[in-house]
Amino acid sequence: MRHSLSVALASLLGALLPMAPMAASAQEGGALPVIFTPPADREIPSGPFGDLVRKGERIFTQTGKYAGKYVGNDLTCESCHLDRGRKAYAAPLWGAYVTYPKFRTKNMKVSRLGERIQGCFRFSMNGTAPPLEGDTIRSIVAYSFWMAKGAPVGTPLAGTGMYHMPAATRHPNPFHGKKVYEARCALCHGADGLGTSSGGEVAFPPVWGPRSFNRGAGLAKVSKLAGFIKMNMPLSKGDTLTNQEAWDVAAYVDSQPRPADPRKKS
Amino acid sequence: MNRSFRTLPALAFPILLFFSLAPLSPAQAGSLIDKGRKIAQEGNDLPGSTACMECHRLHGGGMPSIGSPRIAGQPRQYIEHEILGVKAGTRYAPIMAGIVNNLSEKDIQAVAAWYASVRTPKLRDVSPYDPDLVKLGKRIALKGQWKKNVPACVLCHGPQGRGIPPHFPYIKGQNKGYILRQLISFAFLKRSDDPQGLMRGIARRLSPTERKAVAEYFASLTPPPADGQPDRPSSGKDPR
Repeated sequence: MRHSLSVALASLLGALLPMAPMAASAQEGGALPVIFTPPADREIPSGPFGDLVRKGERIFTQTGKYAGKYVGNDLTCESCHLDRGRKAYAAPLWGAYVTYPKFRTKNMKVSRLGERIQGCFRFSMNGTAPPLEGDTIRSIVAYSFWMAKGAPVGTPLAGTGMYHMPAATRHPNPFHGKKVYEARCALCHGADGLGTSSGGEVAFPPVWGPRSFNRGAGLAKVSKLAGFIKMNMPLSKGDTLTNQEAWDVAAYVDSQPRPADPRKKS
Repeated sequence: MNRSFRTLPALAFPILLFFSLAPLSPAQAGSLIDKGRKIAQEGNDLPGSTACMECHRLHGGGMPSIGSPRIAGQPRQYIEHEILGVKAGTRYAPIMAGIVNNLSEKDIQAVAAWYASVRTPKLRDVSPYDPDLVKLGKRIALKGQWKKNVPACVLCHGPQGRGIPPHFPYIKGQNKGYILRQLISFAFLKRSDDPQGLMRGIARRLSPTERKAVAEYFASLTPPPADGQPDRPSSGKDPR
């Protein structure tokens, strides 16, 4: 009785406080967590701030075109941050904005969001970090700020970052992963992983090889990549691979050749 | 018996396989295209066979009035796959089914080669495009409707919908009746030849207005010069 009462209380609280950590724990219980809804496009204000937000969005979706000198591969920000950085469990910008500054074991420092974005360019885009006070970083930060409107600061939001995978029941197996890849991923990314083009433009992004993210990128970690794949791949068929399939296919993709981690080059 | 004779049959199979899988030489492709043109124009010689051009026109412009699709310049592999799907019953197409059952595998390869090779200007659609629907369709096409788990159409159908060969057909400049009917077929009827059910899920999640809007938007665009090719500034010269 007491137990069912506390469950009822918890679900009531969960409903009342959709952004509270309660929502995150409900997820483990199987209930769907409430996901933050970013503002609609029409809410971008006019004026210089709105212009900066729109510029941030352009860089985000067409990174090679609008920030080409910092990009060293065929990816855009949106290749991983789906729906223009709005999709939950695809490292949404609204989740990132309210999470920084943050201590990161990657460099053992407390980083600002701008510094975190510099890391994206260096590792995921296999390029160079744009200057922190330059237009590229400033506009992506402005775009993130705008998208986080109304989100509580410093409180973990459901759907932030990538999905945290439950531990694999058996060790991720790249050979099994290859079979999953061929059945579910090769249609778009190619059996060779090099992506697919349309009229000379990149259409489906390369998932390994010289034009993909480098070994220092977040997705070069099997657990991160497995979480991304589990919730988002194939597009529109998220959460259709089993956890084990997601682990295996991530192990396969991350076992393939890709550019070296720039921190380890010298 | 000479030793080399005994190994010959063992070698012949891989060699034959190699040739059957190798890309066609220009001469082979040429004769296949010619054969395809003949079938498109006259049918395949079986009594009562229907010529493709009755509905798709000789140069693949289709027939907007009856929602027969434009097929000029679609990828060869895609056209073949669709005809085989109709034959196998995985692609709902009540009219096409009766026609393509007469085609042999070679015939299908030939017509696919012909229609992949031709270019033709866009034909007039059945009615003017509704600006409000075009606007909504453009939004869904370029940005998606992710709340309903509908990614932007252009992610898989290429920039502006110009296709990503060989599996994803172009849809820009296709006639609206055809696009809408296919979305309905994916959603509710028996069209199930889409890889992994991708289109079935997406088409089902769109509302009737959204399906119509997407059809109006892509139909309002000009077709690509060839599948997966960006539009070129017109030089006044017909590419074919």
